[in-house]
Amino acid sequence: MIDWMAFVTVAVAALLAAGLLVTVFALALRVGDSPTPVRKAASLVLYGVCAFIVLFGIFLIVPALHDPLGL
Amino acid sequence: MDLTLLVVLVIALALIFDFTNGFHDTANAMATPIATGALRPKTAVALAAVLNLVGAFLSTEVAKTISGGLIREGDGGLQITPVMILAGLIGAIVWNLVTWLLGLPSSSSHALFGGLIGAAIVGAWSFGPIDGAVLVSKILIPAVLAPVLAGTVSYLATKIAYGITRKRQRDGFKVGQVFTSSLVSLAHGTNDAQKTMGVITLTLIAAGMQPVGTGPQFWVIVACAIAIAAGTYSGGWRIIRTMGRGITEGIEPAQGFSAEAATTATILASTHLGFALSTTQVASGSVIGTGIGRKGASVRWKTAGRIGLGWLITIPAAGTVGALMAFIAGLVWWGVIVDVVLASAAILTIWLLSRRGTVEAGTFHQPEPTAFVRPKRKKKRSRR
Repeated sequence: MIDWMAFVTVAVAALLAAGLLVTVFALALRVGDSPTPVRKAASLVLYGVCAFIVLFGIFLIVPALHDPLGL
Repeated sequence: MDLTLLVVLVIALALIFDFTNGFHDTANAMATPIATGALRPKTAVALAAVLNLVGAFLSTEVAKTISGGLIREGDGGLQITPVMILAGLIGAIVWNLVTWLLGLPSSSSHALFGGLIGAAIVGAWSFGPIDGAVLVSKILIPAVLAPVLAGTVSYLATKIAYGITRKRQRDGFKVGQVFTSSLVSLAHGTNDAQKTMGVITLTLIAAGMQPVGTGPQFWVIVACAIAIAAGTYSGGWRIIRTMGRGITEGIEPAQGFSAEAATTATILASTHLGFALSTTQVASGSVIGTGIGRKGASVRWKTAGRIGLGWLITIPAAGTVGALMAFIAGLVWWGVIVDVVLASAAILTIWLLSRRGTVEAGTFHQPEPTAFVRPKRKKKRSRR
């Protein structure tokens, strides 16, 4: 029947992933909204983290990347 | 009935289904970026089409579950014949078009399952081939869980987004939306084109034109990729309107970003951690969640209810059409021809009905018609 464990895993993973992405991106916007170079740099780093999260998403979508042998 | 002609008909119908699958699901990825003005309508569907095309080539694992999951094969079950696949496909296409006409986002996979189930029931003249427990655990319960989970994730993401940013910073979310919605499109391409490839391959194997146990041939992959991309580019504008505006009014960039992030995260988690969820149901849930999450935004529960009702009747409705088609095909040897004629008539009728009130790219009024997102020049203004 229903694999509740799997559902809970999916729910937790989705919450964490979406929460993390939104938090980092929102922080990047917030921090970047300032003329000081330090904050600009911090904002760029945060955007970098977002880019990394998106790349991880692509990694998960493309089977050749996460499952090269087709197992 | 000549087998070659039958196979040709099935392939043609499978590609038509793939096309309807494409335009039915454009909204999942692109409704919110269009609603917030992050992308122009035409740009959005073009981007989605390209990503679907690319996605279709990325994965070569055949979706064998199309026939294996719900319909029992082998001992105590029945042999899936090309005629059943044809009847099932007609059911799926007709239901996809009806829901599109009504502007309802509904799962194309469920329509396909429904059509095949209906055809299988008539083929066996009993409910024996249908695994009721699987139907409940794989389709009915996930249909409730998907929107609830995605809605919760999206609600919390929206709260975070609005909690952290100040009002004047929120336009920046438009840039992020382009990326999150692109991920949804790519994931869609890798999954959904697979289903049609699986159906065509199954048919070729069943007809003895391809060895058992082999994957889709290259021309099948190309044809399916093009069909789903063309469908996506044609852009089911009616469904985009429902998803982008019908469920909750005036989606803001921060909401769009949160909803898309929730959709992407939920779908990727579900495909990789072994709990299959429908993309359409996840995306709809996300839009509802973000509607609840922003102060001052409201959710049109009447529209949401209509969508939920659509999900409930997708399988029985597509199944009824599939069953009817299988019944006609079983009566006389030229029954399949009658099926195809009826299907063509249905497609034409729905298309003519849709001409009464067209919804196209131009129908969408966008808040800020920027060509593409450009970082806004900073305004020299004191912080609020």
